[in-house]
Amino acid sequence: MSDSTPRPPRRPSHIAERFAIDRRRFLMASGGALGAAVLAACDSMGPKSATGLLKFAERKNESLERALFRHTSMDVPSASAKAAGSHFPSYFISKQVPVWDEATRGVWRLQVGGMVKQPLSLSLADLASLPRTGYRLDHFCVEGWTAVATRTGVALADLARLAGVQPGAQYVDFESFDDDYHESWDIDSAMHPQTIVVYAQDGHYLNAAWGAPARIYSPVKLGYKNTKYLTRIMFLPRRTGGYWSDRGYEWYGGV
Amino acid sequence: MKKRHHAIVRITHWVNVVALTIMVGSGLRIFDAYPAFARRGETFCCYPFEHKSIPANLTFGGWLAGARNWHFAMMWVLVVNGLVYLGFIYTHGEWRDLVPRRGVVRDAWEMVRFYLTVRKDHPRQGKHNALQRLVYFSFPIVGALAVVTGIAIWKPVQLAFLTHLLGGYVWARYWHFLAMLLLVVLAFGHIFMVFAVDPYSMVAMVTGGYKEEWSPEERNARPFVHLLPAHEHAGTTGAPPTPPRTPPTA
Repeated sequence: MSDSTPRPPRRPSHIAERFAIDRRRFLMASGGALGAAVLAACDSMGPKSATGLLKFAERKNESLERALFRHTSMDVPSASAKAAGSHFPSYFISKQVPVWDEATRGVWRLQVGGMVKQPLSLSLADLASLPRTGYRLDHFCVEGWTAVATRTGVALADLARLAGVQPGAQYVDFESFDDDYHESWDIDSAMHPQTIVVYAQDGHYLNAAWGAPARIYSPVKLGYKNTKYLTRIMFLPRRTGGYWSDRGYEWYGGV
Repeated sequence: MKKRHHAIVRITHWVNVVALTIMVGSGLRIFDAYPAFARRGETFCCYPFEHKSIPANLTFGGWLAGARNWHFAMMWVLVVNGLVYLGFIYTHGEWRDLVPRRGVVRDAWEMVRFYLTVRKDHPRQGKHNALQRLVYFSFPIVGALAVVTGIAIWKPVQLAFLTHLLGGYVWARYWHFLAMLLLVVLAFGHIFMVFAVDPYSMVAMVTGGYKEEWSPEERNARPFVHLLPAHEHAGTTGAPPTPPRTPPTA
């Protein structure tokens, strides 16, 4: 039987030689692969083919975030946090700070419509005469900064009751006069007690930089979801995207 | 060839390399959108580079939204991969090679002395030396910290208790950054030592196989010293090894 005859051991020098080449090749190959990976990663958007997977992950994340969502989870800024005041940045997409021009557009009014029994059209005075809701709140920007301000206005849930929102309304779209800026939300986030149609910040009516005459604000959404320069609030059966949501940012943008 | 790493360990290792690289790159791109920690209108004590940009070639994702999409997708790969790895080494007993043993600090100090050439002979070790044990053991712990701090800054309102526990959003974001930094330092230390002391571990982490004479203990290997397998530098004369006697042919 050939199995019983001991095979001669291979010569160590052969092993060493063979190995030396293998290792050199191996190191070169792994170095090359590493270099290629680093180069590919340099300031790149990643492979195009991953877009579908990223979209899939975004949808799954949204499901999880919506399952986590509680109306009782309230934002309470740290007691020691200073109000940002004049350090509060002002973002808008128009070329200049959007200002409502009464001479050309008439008196500003906020429309509340869509799937409601009683559409509303409210002047700033009308808003100010409604029951007031105010909170000292964190602002969570998608960029990573936070700022604290006291936001005062009318809880959106109160406006929804006033307008008689119908059960099929699953989404809300907040439109503005800052060019075509708008963002749509899920109804749960919109009905959170800290979701406010804000007309005053830190005790003063909003100035143009902060979204005058009124804006939506809620700490349960990232800054870009909170439309400033509000014109219309629409209760809708399906989602309608948004300015930044249509440009690659998450539609949900929950905090 | 002796079996050194189970296929699950090898696969999770390389998946981790990709996932962590993308997480760090996209995280730096996200951070670069506002490379500071202070709340608006405040100052922050503990980051000397407030508002200093991150070099673009260290980042991944192209822009803020792209990086966020990668970050929030890849985080699941990182977490699931980490759980598979931990579940495997727990159920298969490999954790015994990684959990620090009694006297690990003293053993690690002996390794440092050996690397600094204060000590001549390589300390005895099992699968890993004491320094490796410490690093490989802390890696999942720091990884878990990165995950927990990451969740805290992802959901600071819905999971406010967690964010408060970490000192609020600003601090949670800072801890997340530090956890990343620590992972990067550990990873680069690990990569340096692989190439400088034990390049053969690359073979082990790809094919799973390893040879006794490759081990740094056998080679008495310090960084860039005694890189060749044990039997090659053992000889002092440089004479070729004598061929083994071949059995007489029938």
